[in-house]
Amino acid sequence: MPKFVAILRLLLVALVLNVPTLGLATEPADLPPCPSQAEQPDVAGLIKRTQRLLEGASSTAVMTMTIRTPSWSRTLKLQTWAKGRELALVRVLEGGPRDTGMMTLKRDKQLWNWLPQAARVMKLPSAMLGDGWMGSDLTNDDLVRGSSLVDDFDAKLSGIVKLSGGDAWQVVLTARPNAPVVWGKLELQIDRALCLPVQERFFDEDGKPLRTLQFSDFRTAGWRHFPAKTTVIPEEKGRETVLQYLELQFDVAIPDDTFSLQRLRQGR
Amino acid sequence: MWLALAWRNLWRNARRTRITVAALALGVVAIVFLETYRESTFRQVIENITSGALGHLQIHAAGWQKSPELERLIAEPAQVEAQVLRALPGTKIAPRVLGYGLVGAGEQSTGAAVLGIDPAREQGELHFVEITKGKHLSGAGRREALLGVDLAEQLGIGLGGEVVLVGQAFDGSVANDRFTVVGLADAGGGELNGSGVFLHLVDAQAFFGLGNGVHQLVLRVPGGHEDMQVPQTVLHGQLADKSLEVLTWDQLVPELKSTMNEKRKSQAVLSYVLFLLVALGVLNAMTMATLERTRELGVLASLGTRPRQILGLILTEALLQGVLGLALGTGVALATVLAVGDISLAAFAKQDILGIRFPTTVHLVMQWHGLAQAAQIALVTMLVGSVLPAWRAARMKPAEATRSY
Repeated sequence: MPKFVAILRLLLVALVLNVPTLGLATEPADLPPCPSQAEQPDVAGLIKRTQRLLEGASSTAVMTMTIRTPSWSRTLKLQTWAKGRELALVRVLEGGPRDTGMMTLKRDKQLWNWLPQAARVMKLPSAMLGDGWMGSDLTNDDLVRGSSLVDDFDAKLSGIVKLSGGDAWQVVLTARPNAPVVWGKLELQIDRALCLPVQERFFDEDGKPLRTLQFSDFRTAGWRHFPAKTTVIPEEKGRETVLQYLELQFDVAIPDDTFSLQRLRQGR
Repeated sequence: MWLALAWRNLWRNARRTRITVAALALGVVAIVFLETYRESTFRQVIENITSGALGHLQIHAAGWQKSPELERLIAEPAQVEAQVLRALPGTKIAPRVLGYGLVGAGEQSTGAAVLGIDPAREQGELHFVEITKGKHLSGAGRREALLGVDLAEQLGIGLGGEVVLVGQAFDGSVANDRFTVVGLADAGGGELNGSGVFLHLVDAQAFFGLGNGVHQLVLRVPGGHEDMQVPQTVLHGQLADKSLEVLTWDQLVPELKSTMNEKRKSQAVLSYVLFLLVALGVLNAMTMATLERTRELGVLASLGTRPRQILGLILTEALLQGVLGLALGTGVALATVLAVGDISLAAFAKQDILGIRFPTTVHLVMQWHGLAQAAQIALVTMLVGSVLPAWRAARMKPAEATRSY
């Protein structure tokens, strides 16, 4: 009898926390299919699928971030928690003596940093959103914005390119007028077999290239495929940031207080 | 005899001579006073900045002035300091660190310039900041900070408050720490009052992970003044590491120097215009003085006086008036400068020009260089103004001249 209660409680907890059914290996029904064979796929559906593949309702991950600059290089080990587009927490598991234990909390459009040496939380002023996160080529904005490729951009197929790993659709995304985005234009190369981007190039409003993201090391988690390695190459010479996932889980239960400011203030 | 004659001639129409001399004197006073006022102000401005933010000379790692990156360091400042003292004995040296980051207090945060200074070496003749409230940094390792006065106001923080600093350290890691505000600092106006966080040099080096490295060696050279090119060359010759850049104060703020030079030029033009007017007055007076005496000069010529002698006589009269005007003008100018002494510029106070605080009072120091300039112009003016009438008088035909009334 006590055993039964325990199982029941576990189930209830699972329901409350919205834990997905274990071993979900089939795609959700509302996800647009991957139009691998199509020469002229429905671009909107394709982008929607691509974005859905890369972001779950929630995810946790452990990754390394390697930053290379002309004057220094360093590798950090990070753990991340994310829920939807509004909540995210990054913790530096292994870094330098000054920043191991540092955490960045994103709540909606705002960022707070837990600074381990100061043992204080500091809210990031919005003017600093364009700056690199922890000296990397990922901007604070990348963490905050999570802009919607579907809602903020007009997509157009511009052709098919042959890559070493197979064919890719080339898609040009142009920012809609008044869309809250920092980019003017994006050029995506989307692998036809996996429906995942292999490269994204970012341009400003004047068409000046700003940076390139390259995706590789594709892996499978449940029904999803995802790139385990992301390389960010800014236009500035000699710089590069490489993100390599060590562990990644989608649609996992994350307690809400993970993203609480109270908790961040205590440095936990 | 000619001199005596010229002198007597001057006082035959005493009123005209007095007016001419007075006009000339007024011009001299104007030039000398303006020059003195301007140069005294410039001296004060230069004194202020060379004893504060800039020093007379600064030493940096190569290229730091152009792109002040954290990693452009003078790695061994102690060795460089020894070389400085060998080249320019008696020089006061202040090592400084400059980095950037975010400063936060409570919910507020904003961009900050983080400056490391050594309080023991930032005193008297050479000091970056004036403490307007509280006290100076007391020592290394105490997590003390001075905030720029405007920054403190912006953050809404006072003495004893806590600020958090974040930046990027030398090795790329995130520098972060918290500090107690012990004083508010006035860095001589400019941006630093609104963005400067001053730490002890050692604390700033630890914060950014710089080791012993510094970004600036700020030098106050004994007897230093506006023109520092010679000490600059001497110093650079003594430095073992030739890649280090040695810059003069005016190379650090070239806009200030060029503003000064423009002002000098435009005032020189003004002086010439002023004396052109005086010269026209002189021309008029001397023309009258010779026309009046046409008959008399004709008699002189008939008695065998040579044209050259008549020319000399008239020019001597002019020069005598020039000397008188100059003497009078100098006396008045000197008296004015001494009487005025200090000019209060309180109306301009708190006004920053090119990020440099205007001095609140200017102590006037007689500019003899200005007087020399005025003397030159005055005498030239008198000669130019009188050469035409003198020439005409010398060329007169005695027969016609004696007949005129």
